[in-house]
Amino acid sequence: MKARTGYSTSLKQEFLKKWIKGIRIYSNFKKDMNILERKKAIKLSADLAIASTRNASTRWSRTLTANISKNETNKIFVEQIFSDSEVIKKEAPSRLMARSNRIASKKIWRRSHITQIKARKMGPYAVKARSIAKKLVKNRTKVLKSLVPGGENMDGISLIKETLDYIVSLRVQVDVMRRLASAAENSTRLGLSSKCSVHWLQGIFTVLDHWCAMVH
Amino acid sequence: MSSRRSRQSTSSSRITDDQIIELVSKLQQLLPEIRDRRSNKASANKVLQETCNYIRSLHREVDDLSERLSQLLSTIDADSPEAGIIRSLIM
Repeated sequence: MKARTGYSTSLKQEFLKKWIKGIRIYSNFKKDMNILERKKAIKLSADLAIASTRNASTRWSRTLTANISKNETNKIFVEQIFSDSEVIKKEAPSRLMARSNRIASKKIWRRSHITQIKARKMGPYAVKARSIAKKLVKNRTKVLKSLVPGGENMDGISLIKETLDYIVSLRVQVDVMRRLASAAENSTRLGLSSKCSVHWLQGIFTVLDHWCAMVH
Repeated sequence: MSSRRSRQSTSSSRITDDQIIELVSKLQQLLPEIRDRRSNKASANKVLQETCNYIRSLHREVDDLSERLSQLLSTIDADSPEAGIIRSLIM
């Protein structure tokens, strides 16, 4: 799994292109949508798009796509989106955790837990404090695993790596969605003369279209 | 850095201490809360906590933005030229 930053425009372009393609396909599917259905279409397309930028190379992206496809109604839609590109791989059942992974997991939280070192010099109360701290870290790790798709079966270094990649991807998703939302909002809110706002919108969408075309 | 030797260090020789420290610090750098303060002193617990909070807030933002966009697309006056442009792009 290659590490990446979220600052590259090509990643944002790729996401935007796939996202819009998804919304288009969904809209052809269901002609007259109410607000809730449209929200679902937008969100689903966004999630599929950001997962697909990883090309099934990370666990979180495979799990996310698989979870969406589990739903019967979504399945047809997902198949349409991926018809011309990558195949939806079935997520393999989790292997047993490698021993080195488990060791690394303990190491990670031990090494960065500074209070532990102090506790060793302090006596029985400190021992109790240390076990409480351990429990806290264990519980928090559990929560993290529930937040990252497919996290329940990860441990140690894999969890941290997947979390890093997942956060970077989420930021890209939010950034692009935010820009589209403000662009659309500004044009309608400004209440400029119809001609002005059209011009403004056209400008924005020319850029967006240009982006989409570039990824080809 | 630490004088404490783990008895298990030989069996996990492929994963070095430096790798671990590097990964955790990368995670720290992504988190807005911790990055703004002096990051060296963040404990594992704090990093985990901030990570979970951050992921949750990103999830919420995606949800809010989806709702916002859905409303925008619905309230655009169907006959206006803006609607035509947005529709040609998205629908």
